[in-house]
Parts: sequence; structure tokens; C-alpha cells
Amino acid sequence: MTDARTGRTRTLAIALAALVAALVIAACGDSDTVGGGSDEDVQTAKGGKASGSVTISNWPGYIDPGKNGTVNEFEEKTGISLEYIEDVNDNNQFFGKMKPLLDQGQSGGRSMFVVTDWMAKQMHDLGYLQDIDYADVPTVEKNISDIARESVADPGRKFTIPWQSGLTGLWVDTKKAPGIRSINDLFDPKYKGKVTFLLEMRDTVPMVMMADGVDPETASKQDWLDAIDKINKATDSGQVRRWTGNEYTEDLTAGNAVASIGWSGDASLIGNPNAEWRKPTEGCTIFTDSMVIPVGAPNSPAALEWADFAYQPEVAADLAAYITYFTPVDGAKEVLQKSDPASANNPLIFPSEKFLEGCVAQPEPPGGPEDVQEVTDAFADATTG
Amino acid sequence: MLRRRLVPYFLLGPGTIWLVLFFLVPMYFMAELALRSGTVLTGFQFSWEWSNFSDALSENNEQVVRSFYYSGVATLVALLIAYPLAYAIALRAGRWRVLLLFAVIAPFFTTYLIRTIAWKTILYDSGPIVDAFQFLQLIPDDGRLLATQWAVIAGLTYNFLPFMILPIYASIERLDLRMIEAAKDLYASSRQAFLKVTLPLTAPGIVAGVLLTFIPAFGDYVNPLVLGGTNQSMIGNRIQVLYLNEGNYPEAAALSFLMMALILALVVVYIRFAGTEAFMGEEVEET
Repeated sequence: MTDARTGRTRTLAIALAALVAALVIAACGDSDTVGGGSDEDVQTAKGGKASGSVTISNWPGYIDPGKNGTVNEFEEKTGISLEYIEDVNDNNQFFGKMKPLLDQGQSGGRSMFVVTDWMAKQMHDLGYLQDIDYADVPTVEKNISDIARESVADPGRKFTIPWQSGLTGLWVDTKKAPGIRSINDLFDPKYKGKVTFLLEMRDTVPMVMMADGVDPETASKQDWLDAIDKINKATDSGQVRRWTGNEYTEDLTAGNAVASIGWSGDASLIGNPNAEWRKPTEGCTIFTDSMVIPVGAPNSPAALEWADFAYQPEVAADLAAYITYFTPVDGAKEVLQKSDPASANNPLIFPSEKFLEGCVAQPEPPGGPEDVQEVTDAFADATTG
Repeated sequence: MLRRRLVPYFLLGPGTIWLVLFFLVPMYFMAELALRSGTVLTGFQFSWEWSNFSDALSENNEQVVRSFYYSGVATLVALLIAYPLAYAIALRAGRWRVLLLFAVIAPFFTTYLIRTIAWKTILYDSGPIVDAFQFLQLIPDDGRLLATQWAVIAGLTYNFLPFMILPIYASIERLDLRMIEAAKDLYASSRQAFLKVTLPLTAPGIVAGVLLTFIPAFGDYVNPLVLGGTNQSMIGNRIQVLYLNEGNYPEAAALSFLMMALILALVVVYIRFAGTEAFMGEEVEET
């Protein structure tokens, strides 16, 4: 009995000693870093003749599905077999999912994916993306609109090709909550537990700041933290029902939510005839989601071929009419004016300057990486009660 | 002689390799990650950062308490449903037994995630179930079921119920009915016979069922995510947010580690309390 116990104690002691020794070795050994990106030079994605098969990740609701959809059309015209997957639901979560792979220089078989411009910059800074030579995508070079070519995150569009842009504003069930016109209305106790907010920090926080009269483009870190504090209180009190990515469309469809902070082009995902996108009285934010080519992307010529294909005015017109986001392609409006005048005049696809009044490009929290991290952490904490 | 001594080690081989590869090695990497510091953009350096552990606990105590509460209630409710059900299936169902057992297992043919999302469709705010609850005044007229703690607890109970039923069923089915007869012959009332004979003899099933329900329910993140709202997040959700949204890998690792240690400690105490005999089955007396 005593022997057995001593034996067990000894085994435990040896195991503990081994663990400590291993940790010490890890600490003394050359300090390898987990994460933080690669130090290798950024490469330019290979272009040229495209064939074979290719896998592309995108957000839900960003393609016209079916037999006459763009994916099928692309496969028929080019002979390339395209695996189109909708597995991007949230920039941060997609980043978190991809990061361990990208650290190893792999993309999990994806040749291209679509993320919001700020995330594309973050990934590029970490060495996770390849540059794109626009000479490899002549149709893009020819048809990209002046507005789409401009970018704060990627000046000159060196590693991104815009897929669609859109507005962040309010989706309102006009029957149940006709009165909601400002972000401030979402904080009205009348709608307690009936509103949802977006987990995308750069969408939600600037909207809340604008509603409080703060200009998000010149806001200080404290302004961001104050807005997050307001959000935190609304979360704790149960005012906010859920924090969502694209799933807010389900809550609007099922009638669980009467209003949501949401994206202008999501009509195709919301099965509720009373749902209407509204630009908040105080303004809105404009975002651009772009195609990027990750490190380790197989068959990048075929991915570039896809981008080039989507920039033909006829293809872009079909896409725009279905997904109802801003198309970055010049000439699409002219095509739609002939085939589908209603879409051509839809301000959510082709916004006029007046329609965009008061809307600002999606702002970044001010300051260095530590400041951004502080704001990001505060927001993440606020969204999980 | 030598061969004879080596045989047990050979038999232990596959299990040992499995444990080393899929338990010890990952544990080591997790412990090592939990002691790093840095940010996701600059990378994480090893620096004996013990504060990750204290931060993980102090910043998330609300979710820790909530996880205990939700999984505890779910385990208790599951036990209260499972025992009579297993008893009825094992001893009273007759020729329906196989069919009823199949009904218990059948939900496993659909994936866990889909089953949970299905509950969302059933419990939506203007749906018939919520209407009925409102009519019966179980919830206020503008009340709801989704995005409340009850939805999360019900989801946990529903999803882990078969893990409670099956071990209890197995132990009741093995029950020697002559023992109960003997108790009654000795003038025990039905209640006494149940408490003094049936319950102790089926205790191994209860202990196993409680462990199989409580442990996965405690770490679950799907039910609070799908059925819960903003104030129902459990520890699993916090780990997910720390890892994916905040990019704070060390604190996420530290929190996972702490939870594992906590659960392990609880299970050890529980098994001690419930008795290893109940857990392992009756030990054969050596003479």
C-alpha cells in the first residue's frame, strides 16, 4: 500500500518535472513566435492562361444562384470547374479560422476569397496575401469604376479587386416598427429584445457614434470606447436581442427582430415582405468587400479569370440585379437600363450622390495597433454578455 | 518469461500512443501557448505570462458561474426525465422496448447543429409554441422563449438526454428483479424497496449518465449561440470570442486549461463522493 502510494507520487513528480523541463526548454530555445505573420517578401499572384479547377470563398448572398447563375455561366464559357463556397460570415472569425493555415503559407485549398477592405489590409500587412497585377485582369482594368478604384485600405488597388460595395444602415420591419428611422430608436425601451446589432465593429460602432452626433472620421479613441460603453449597457439590459453576422436576416424573416443594423443588399436573404432597408437619418457607412488571393493559393490564374469574368458589364448587371449591392463595374447600369429598368433605377445598386449624403467610408479606430486592439477587445467584451 | 512480461505493455501500446498524441502533446502546446504574451498582429512570444490565467478567470467569472448553473440544471432535469423513462423502457415496455430505444437514439441520425437550429424554427417569437405559452400565462404577453436562459437550458437538456438515458437503461436492464422480490418478502414497502435496492443497484448508470451529460453540457457553445441571446453566453462562447474575435490566443488557451482543470477536480470529487464502486461497478472481493 505504502509502496504503491510512493510509486504513484514518484510518477506524478516525474511527470511534473518533465512538463516543467519542456516549458523551460521552450523558453530558452530560439524564441519562435506564434502568429505575427511571415517575413517573406510579398509575391505577385501568377496570372496567364487559366484552366483546371478553382475554389473561391465568399459571403452568403453574394451570388446569383441556379442554372443561369454566374457560376454556371463561368464554367460553361471558360471550361474551368469552380467550387464556390459561402463560408465567410464575419471578417474576424474568418481571419481566426484562416490564420493558422495562412501562417503555414496555406489557404486551405482556396484560390481566392472575399473580405472587407480593412481586413484585406490587415492580412496583407501580415504577409498573408499576394499582390495582384491588374495587367492580368484586363477587363477589370478597363471597367472598374473610379469610385471602386479609390481605397483607403489599399491605395491604388495593389492586392484587392472590389467585388461589391454596400451601405450599413437599418433593416426595419415596417409593419411592426414603422417608427424606427435612426440608430437611436434601437435603444428605445419599446423595442427591448427585438433589435439585433452587427458583430462587425467597423459597422456598428461608427453608426452609434453618428447617432450621438460624433463624426466617426475624426472620432478619438475615447469616442469609440464611449460608444462601445453605450452598446455594452444595451447588451446587458437585454435591449439588444442578439449580436449577429448575416444571421440577422433569419431573425427578421422569423419575426424575432423588428429592426436590425444591416447591410443594404441583403433583401435576397430576408423572406419578409415588410422588411425595408432605411438609411438612418444621421447617415450611414460605406464598405467595400474585395477579392484577394491568399498565399499558397492553388491555380491563381483561374481565380483571376473569375474576377475578370465578373467585370464584364453584362455579367455584372445580372449580379447587381440579383444581389442588390453597388457594382464596381462601369457599364452595368447601361445594360440594365435596357433589360431591367427597375434595377437600373434602384438607389441601392446605383446610388446617386444625394442618396449617399451623410454616408462615410467605413472608418478605422484611430491610433496604433495597441489602440486598435484595445477598442477591438472592448467591443468583443461588450458583445458577449 | 520475458515475453509474458512484455505482453501487457504491448496491449497498453495503442492506448498509450493515442493518449500521448491526442492528449499529452496538445496539452503541452496549450499550456505553452497559455504562457505567451503579445498580440495577434505582432505575434505571441513565450514569456511565462502567468497573468493570462488570473485574467482568464477574473474577466470571465460571470460565464463560469453561468456555465455551472446551466449545465447543472440541464443535468438535473435530464436525470429526472431519463430515470423514469429508462425504467419504463427496461422493465415495462415489453415488445415496444426495441422501438422505444430506437426512438431515444434516432435523433443522433441528424447532426447536432441541425437539431439545435430546428428548435429555433419551432420556438420563434410569433410561433404556436410561444403563443401557447403566452395563452397559459407561463410567459408575459410580449414574452419570448428564444434568446432566454430557458431556451439554452432546454436545448442542453434535449441534446444530451440520450447520454443520460442509455447508461441508466443499461444498469436497470441488468437489475436482478429477485432482489426487489426479496425486499418485498421482507416487508419493504415499494418506496423502501426502490430506495434501498433499486436505486443503489442502478447507481453506476446514474453516475455515468451525470458525467456524460454534465461534462459536454458545461463546455457547449452551440446551444447558447443558436438558442441564447446576448446574456446567455457560456464559457465555450467566451473561448471562441477570445480566440476568433479578439485574437487573444494565450488567454483563450489559459481559460480552456482552467476549465479542464476545474472539471477534472469536480469529477474526481464526485467520483470519490459517489464511490468508485458505483462508477466502476461492483468490485470482486479478493480473498
